[in-house]
Amino acid sequence: MAIKVKEVERPISEVSYLRATVSGLALTLKHMFDPHKVTTQYPEQRWDLSPRWRGTHRMLTTEDGKAKCVACGLCPTVCPANCIKLVPGEDEDGNRYPLVFEIDEFRCIFCGYCQEVCPEEAIHVGRHYENAEYSRDRFVYDLARLTSQTHAVCEMWDPADPKGE
Amino acid sequence: MAETPMVNLTIEGLAVQVAAGTTILEAAKTAGVLIPHYCYHPSLPVAGVCRMCLVEVEKAPKLLPSCATTVAEGQVVHVYSEQALEARKGVLELLLINHPLDCPICDQSGECELQDYTFAEGRQDSRYREPKRFDPVEDFGGDVMYVGNRCILCTRCVRFMEDVHKDPVIEVQDRGDRARIGKAPDNDLTQAWAANVVDLCPVGALLSKDFLNKARAWELDRTASVCNGCSQGCNIVVETRDNVIMRYKPRANDDVNKHFMCDEGRLNYAWLNRPDRITWPQAAGAVTGWEGALASAATALKGKKAYVVVNPSLSNETLYALKQLIAKSGGAGYFSVVQGPEAPLPGVADLAVRADRAANATGAELLGFTRSASPLAKLTASDVLVLVDVQLSDADKAAAAKAAAVVVIGTALPQEIAGAAAVLPMTNYVEEDGTFTNLRGRVQRYLQAKATTGAARPAWYILSDLLSALGEKSEYFTASAAFDALAKAEPAFAGLSYDTLGLRGATIQGAQVTA
Repeated sequence: MAIKVKEVERPISEVSYLRATVSGLALTLKHMFDPHKVTTQYPEQRWDLSPRWRGTHRMLTTEDGKAKCVACGLCPTVCPANCIKLVPGEDEDGNRYPLVFEIDEFRCIFCGYCQEVCPEEAIHVGRHYENAEYSRDRFVYDLARLTSQTHAVCEMWDPADPKGE
Repeated sequence: MAETPMVNLTIEGLAVQVAAGTTILEAAKTAGVLIPHYCYHPSLPVAGVCRMCLVEVEKAPKLLPSCATTVAEGQVVHVYSEQALEARKGVLELLLINHPLDCPICDQSGECELQDYTFAEGRQDSRYREPKRFDPVEDFGGDVMYVGNRCILCTRCVRFMEDVHKDPVIEVQDRGDRARIGKAPDNDLTQAWAANVVDLCPVGALLSKDFLNKARAWELDRTASVCNGCSQGCNIVVETRDNVIMRYKPRANDDVNKHFMCDEGRLNYAWLNRPDRITWPQAAGAVTGWEGALASAATALKGKKAYVVVNPSLSNETLYALKQLIAKSGGAGYFSVVQGPEAPLPGVADLAVRADRAANATGAELLGFTRSASPLAKLTASDVLVLVDVQLSDADKAAAAKAAAVVVIGTALPQEIAGAAAVLPMTNYVEEDGTFTNLRGRVQRYLQAKATTGAARPAWYILSDLLSALGEKSEYFTASAAFDALAKAEPAFAGLSYDTLGLRGATIQGAQVTA
């Protein structure tokens, strides 16, 4: 049985690729002169983050540079992702202080409960999103790294309108 | 004994029948209603100072402290009436006036009765606007630290030292809002049972220095156990975090230790966390699997007399398996017991740190082991020495060299036994289930609190395998089955099983129950 190919009669406007190519080039040319820009020129330009943005953590410090944390154990208790490791102990003055404080930022779901529960306002989620690293283990932030970071921290709620009304 | 008359009353709408003379607070417990209280403790005399247990009793002119009021026929008690709740809310508000609310750094947080009752019945905020009173932290000596700011002056500690320990070295000093717990000069809380004040303290005012800042109460896993420090056999709770023992706490048992345990036993847990354990079975100095090491031990023991030296803190199950080994080979079993000063708790009958600093010397004697100050004295050159969890003295090391062969079943390897025919790693007592027999013949269970290190197995399990290798029919795979075999064979233990023992223990046949 011979195979028949159905031949479709097309209008002349659809037969050539030239028309489509030229119309595409025309659109590109139009955007070159159009003043309306959509692309953000990262990293020269950046978005304004919301004051309630929840990114990677920061541990706030006292005036003498020590972490405010008293190793009360509330953040590892409340953490739904179980990403905070805390071993309580004492500092050289005999005050409660974390011997080990590590946050696994890969496990973290950035819910912000740790900041909300902290009685010392020590641990905060940050207004920060640039987290690239060369190795996976660099995403376990220890106490030294958490205290040395300087980015802005999440405000959780508007101080002028704490109930969101 | 005369029949105690019973009294019928109603508590929170529940009909309760209790013996005359019972307090309303205890009667409510039988009905499943816990009346909040601070100064009341079942093992201490009633003080009635905290006013937290106020309840409304119909026809009484005002609220009554339930800890100090005995039940009466036809009484109708309302624990949660509006008036009672209002009164207790007021008590809590006053208690919190000078309480620092430093729960995040307080070791009692999570097991604090002030937290619990404030959460249940207290005000949400404080109306007190003045600065809080400040008392410095004071070292009370021994294992006890006093944080005066947190104290609610329930005087449980004072009554314990005065009425139970009979050594009243602490008291309420000063008056009014300056009142605090003070220590008599030059008298530290170093008495044998003094650290019980830490358990009795309902808040974080008296703290254990050993446990200070080590863990939070809610992170701990708790397992019922028995202290193996002496032959009293106090019931305890082993509290672990991440497979590491953090502390011991007493477990209430009115027949043995009430609510108490001694300081020596309380702090005697660090050795159970030691890392230098035998982890893998060895035969003639080389690491082998279990099969190789057991075969080596069986070869050494075949046809020879087993001269068994045991640690008197081994479980009844292990000692029974060893008894079978001795009976099969016609050998003998010995143990020596470390002695220490006896330290009674004067206010509780028949409770003391016993001179025998081992948990199961009674069990070892019942199962035919001989107590001896020099357990290796009768060893001959034809015997195979079986050492079960013992550390040898220098004199014993020389004596041990005489034996035809040495089989070691132990937790940590003594260096001098490097040439043993077989070294079989066993679990220590918090890593296995088992029973001890205390000096009054009370058999008490302890449960596994943590996982073991390496390939260690419970000693009764190892011995069961060893007996099988020697042709004895002795196969049990659970501690419960091992105990059943013991109860079946030994008349003293007849009728006992893990089910009948429960967690409070039971006394063996013909035991002398009191001193």
